[in-house]
Amino acid sequence: MKKVWVLFVALIAAVVLAACGGESSSAPSQTNEGGTTEAGGGEIEEFVYASTSDVAGLSPILTNDSVSANVQEHVYETLFERDTDTGELIPSLAESYENPDELTWIFKIREDVVFHDGTPLNAESVKYTFDKLRDPATAAPRASLLEPVDEITVEDEFTVKITTKYPYGPFLASLAHSNAAIVSPTADQAQDLMSNPVGSGPFKFVSYTPGDQVVLEAFEDYRDGAPDIKKLVFKVVPEISTAISMLQTGEVDFIDNLPSEQIARIESIQNVDIEKKDGTSVFYLAFNQSRPENQDENFRKAVAAAVDRDTFVGKLNGLGLRSDSVLGPMVFGYNESKNAAGQAYDPELAKQLVEENGYGDRTISLLTANRDNFILMAEIAQAQLTEAGFNVKIETMEWATFLDTARAGQFDITFLSWANLTQDGSEMFYPNLHTDNIGSSNRAQYSNAEFDELVDASRTSVDQEERLNYLDQANGLLLEQNDVVVMYHGVVTGAMNSEYTNLILEPNGKWTLKDVTRK
Amino acid sequence: MSTTFSVETPQVRTKKKDRFVVSTMKRLLKNKLAVVGLIIIAIQVIMALTAPWITSYDPATQQLTKSELPVMSEGHILGTDNYGRDVWTRIVYGAQISLVVAITAVTLGLLGGVVLGMLAGYYKKWDAVIMRFVDLLFAFPGILLAMLIIAILGTSLINVAIAISIWSIPTCARIVRGSVLSIKEKEYIMAMKSMGASDLRIMVKHILPNALAPIIVFATMRMATAILSTAALSYLGLGAQPPTPEWGAMIAQGQDYMWTSPHLTVIPGIAIMLTVFAFNVVGDGLRDALDPNMDLN
Repeated sequence: MKKVWVLFVALIAAVVLAACGGESSSAPSQTNEGGTTEAGGGEIEEFVYASTSDVAGLSPILTNDSVSANVQEHVYETLFERDTDTGELIPSLAESYENPDELTWIFKIREDVVFHDGTPLNAESVKYTFDKLRDPATAAPRASLLEPVDEITVEDEFTVKITTKYPYGPFLASLAHSNAAIVSPTADQAQDLMSNPVGSGPFKFVSYTPGDQVVLEAFEDYRDGAPDIKKLVFKVVPEISTAISMLQTGEVDFIDNLPSEQIARIESIQNVDIEKKDGTSVFYLAFNQSRPENQDENFRKAVAAAVDRDTFVGKLNGLGLRSDSVLGPMVFGYNESKNAAGQAYDPELAKQLVEENGYGDRTISLLTANRDNFILMAEIAQAQLTEAGFNVKIETMEWATFLDTARAGQFDITFLSWANLTQDGSEMFYPNLHTDNIGSSNRAQYSNAEFDELVDASRTSVDQEERLNYLDQANGLLLEQNDVVVMYHGVVTGAMNSEYTNLILEPNGKWTLKDVTRK
Repeated sequence: MSTTFSVETPQVRTKKKDRFVVSTMKRLLKNKLAVVGLIIIAIQVIMALTAPWITSYDPATQQLTKSELPVMSEGHILGTDNYGRDVWTRIVYGAQISLVVAITAVTLGLLGGVVLGMLAGYYKKWDAVIMRFVDLLFAFPGILLAMLIIAILGTSLINVAIAISIWSIPTCARIVRGSVLSIKEKEYIMAMKSMGASDLRIMVKHILPNALAPIIVFATMRMATAILSTAALSYLGLGAQPPTPEWGAMIAQGQDYMWTSPHLTVIPGIAIMLTVFAFNVVGDGLRDALDPNMDLN
């Protein structure tokens, strides 16, 4: 008998110790690998970024995902870019532009830029890239960026004229999108840019091992001078916990998209600096508006009143921004007055509405993607809705299945998100909530003629003041009828080895490493 | 032992059966490890049955202001999870879920396995067909087969039970078929046949009771596998849907907080480990106790 108990206690002790071991081993270790410790000298021999998924491809024309865009941002450049602090659009490859009339855009291209393969970048390369992007034969996923474009003509070596079919307000924002980056025409004709990209950015492509890593090197002839990082590695580390451990040991120098539940752990690591910035992404509760039950305004009001967003945002450890506005503070179209324009948290009102209308009698399916932050929203909302008297069942799905199921409208309520790369409100409303896009990106199946009109107006006007006004009205319309219940606006994050500095983090989640230097 | 059942009158049989059960229990209780296992199982069963009385919270009620409390906090003996739900309550209700799913899965699996094994062992012409089908099921690794079935049926605890039961069928069928093959050649079966007993009567009343020992051992061991698989499938997000307090799902949810609140993974982990350990040692003990050769020692 004694033996048995000894064995037993030993077993338990082993398990407990193993678990606690995890905690004590998280004490920071100072070992550095990968040749990053070389003292003195500004050069950084090797800099490693870890991503949880692999790139889809390396051609900006043929991809549309943030992981691929992270690599492309370093290899290619766009005509315009956003100022990282003010969000203002500033020329990058373009030098200047003018609008002789509402439908015509004339761009002056910088004259000192060459692609990595030696081809000079000129008006011809811009025309080539844009024609390819909008050519239906290319089937580019973001061909929509140039959908309003009618004709592109080369005026002289460094001047290109673009005419649009209708006045297009967010045009410059579209041109700042990483999928509108300029590719080298000679390289595109000679090779597959998906696996062998050639751009004009600060880094030159070296190699790509699918599922493992992409390696870039500094482009010595870069117009602003070559970056300090000589070898830049984008490594795939599927598990974020592992990536954090690698950051701790110095195997990895930079990670992004820090999960809110790990933030305390990362903060406790001594050799790592965390950078945060208010972002453009929005996470919201959406109703399937194709179902008559969800078109009931009181039902949506009851749901909105039942969900305590303030407490929820408090759970995000500083990685979320609370505002009712569908367009967040970093998005064009935001107006402070909308911060509290939605239905406030009012559990009593919710209970009363549920009771009066018998909302508790039907089972509501709450569809959610099986990503950590989505499950967090779903579980908290489910508990609070149950509290108010609703009968809610959670259905979790893997990301791709979730997107398809939501697109097909097989849910009652769900949580959706939008990163908003262009940082423009039209680019949030049009794909997500405009009648045109039901069956594709309008997963809420939302259709409201008044709203559509406002969004169309915001897209076709080139007067930015007027656009701001249209977007604000559209925003107000959604909030007034609780068609969208905003949970939070994202905060972009990055954690970098504290030996380095000058990371450029943009509100839309993009980041640039070209200016990174040793402290 | 085997000859004792068949040709006696019912009353005598019952008495003998009682004596057999008692002697088996006695042998089982001599096995110290098995006793520990039995105690753990008993505790789990009591926990599952009295869940509402031994906990003071609801397993799904959140207290967002009291999240991630450590073990031994005031009012929360095992602390709270990231939603402020009481971990002790969730463990207790989780015991309910584990037991119900495992018992359902094992019962269904036994039903299928016993019927198939019995038919295959008794009727020669069915043997090849049934056993090839069983071989086919064997060709898939167990957990993969379960995942495949869930992929077809959809994610839910009921489907987990069905998947695990299907996965149990081939092993059970083989065990039963083996016993039936040896028992059906015994003289008392021949005697029943010559007396004109129907096949069904022979199978159910005479072969099955004699093939029971390996089935009982298999069922006990299978309980351990079923509990572990339920947890594994829920851990992968294929089983229990939130906010169900399933142990595997609790581990999956807690792992993001492993560095700050290790109790969220360690406690359900210990619960799973203890239960699986208990069913395994009891199964081992039963195998020894039910083995007639044990008397010789």
